[in-house]
Amino acid sequence: MHQVTGTHPDVLLMLLADARLPTGGHTQSAGLEPALRAGMAPRDVPAYMAARLATTVRVEAGTAVVARHVALGPARAADGAPTLADVRAAWAARTPSPALRETSERLGRGYLRLLRRLWPDHPALAVLEEDLPTRGRRGALTVAGTARPAAGVPRPLVLGVLAACAGLDAVRLARLVAYDDAQTVAAASLKLEPVDPAETTTWVLAAGPDIDDVVAEVSHLTDPDHIPAHGAPLMEQWAEHHARTTERLFSA
Amino acid sequence: MTRIEVDVEEGRARCSLSTGLLSPRVLSCDDTGARVALVATGALLLAGDAVRIDVRVGPGAWLHVVETSGTVAYDARGGTATWDVTIAVAAGGTLVWEGLPFIVAAGADVTRATTAELGTGATLLLRETLVLGRTGEVGGDLRSGMRCTLAGRPALVDDLRLDASRTAPGILGDERVVDSVLCLGMRPPATAPSPGRAHLDLDLPGALVRSLGRDAHTGSLDAVWGQWLAHVAGAPRPGAAEPPAVPHPPPSQPRPSQPRPSQPRPSQPRPSQPRPSQPRPSQPS
Repeated sequence: MHQVTGTHPDVLLMLLADARLPTGGHTQSAGLEPALRAGMAPRDVPAYMAARLATTVRVEAGTAVVARHVALGPARAADGAPTLADVRAAWAARTPSPALRETSERLGRGYLRLLRRLWPDHPALAVLEEDLPTRGRRGALTVAGTARPAAGVPRPLVLGVLAACAGLDAVRLARLVAYDDAQTVAAASLKLEPVDPAETTTWVLAAGPDIDDVVAEVSHLTDPDHIPAHGAPLMEQWAEHHARTTERLFSA
Repeated sequence: MTRIEVDVEEGRARCSLSTGLLSPRVLSCDDTGARVALVATGALLLAGDAVRIDVRVGPGAWLHVVETSGTVAYDARGGTATWDVTIAVAAGGTLVWEGLPFIVAAGADVTRATTAELGTGATLLLRETLVLGRTGEVGGDLRSGMRCTLAGRPALVDDLRLDASRTAPGILGDERVVDSVLCLGMRPPATAPSPGRAHLDLDLPGALVRSLGRDAHTGSLDAVWGQWLAHVAGAPRPGAAEPPAVPHPPPSQPRPSQPRPSQPRPSQPRPSQPRPSQPRPSQPS
């Protein structure tokens, strides 16, 4: 049975939204460091947060919601029912930037380690291992003969499976992904620019309606083909440039 | 609806064309493929216009689509226009489409949708230059969607929502030209890093180079286009017993930064590059 039983889903939601969770969140600025280095004005950080919520966050949240649905396996027996490999393919097609894919897969490894420890026997984890058997495994991190890391499991996909294990519904999951992104931008701005921490907190609160818009767009999704694909061309360029930068505070 | 189909039948390429708001004209043809120009049959793109272009390339065939002028989407005064492209390239086929600037004037409201389905061993090389506003204009609203599959698997799904919100930091900011070259079905050569440009290797075989700039001259991808066209033309195609009959890359030509008028000007398509009639000498391997 589940190792974590009797724990209220709200506690699990708080756990997953907590920056102290050992998943490497402290290495991330949600693209803010690349943006500021590219010359974005610090006063534009709230607008940047909103732009993410209108674009890339919807891809992330949509991927997580659909992964949760597939991992719960209601349609698993049906012919042509999507698998988590299909969800990963849909996410990858919507994430043309290799830098952003690699960042997400690196973070996914941290969540996957936690998932395997917390819910080793959960059927949703079994679905993940069945659909993406070689991904994110220790020892499979590099492709032999190349410098490219082997493909892993992207963070939103693992989050979706975690939500399935933790009993989080799709609405909570979508809100978690959106909130986490906004809070990541806010927390990173404290390390990158002189700003009052109370001020950055007001930004996250002000993003509330945008977070709700994300939830409204993705929380009902079940089909990988319907995951939003809103692109943000400048963010992609900044991410690619940052991945080749050596002196940096955040990895992405 | 504008339709271009190319098939190889009995050792000869056969083109099947129909005219819509754009008229296809065969520029040249050989055993396995053709160069076809797209010529506007009237003023484009006005409110209420619904351009549909269907392009199908049969197994082992090649097609090079050449646009003869850029396109301006004019002030729609509250109306809308659409530009839908459906592409199907069968196994071993090659489609090269050199799009010219698509300019969204102030007041225009346009939805572009490009769908491409590639079979096994098929290749697509596609140029797309989106310009928000004529010189000095802020430009209208554009939604541009791209959905590409490779042997049934999603390869690139990208929806650009370039309405008033596009000036947000991280979307386009102050930039107003989105120039891109997409190669799908094979991994094109690396491109030199350049400010305002990103080379994005996709998860499946293929890459997208996207350049953002203030005007159509800066950050132009003409050099990338030429490099990738040569790569696609020189690549061996699965199942092809003879050297590939894909055309040599045309000599680099300056692209018009502003479109010419959209009246039909059949006498003035860009001169077609004559293709050598003999097969290309095989590359030493």
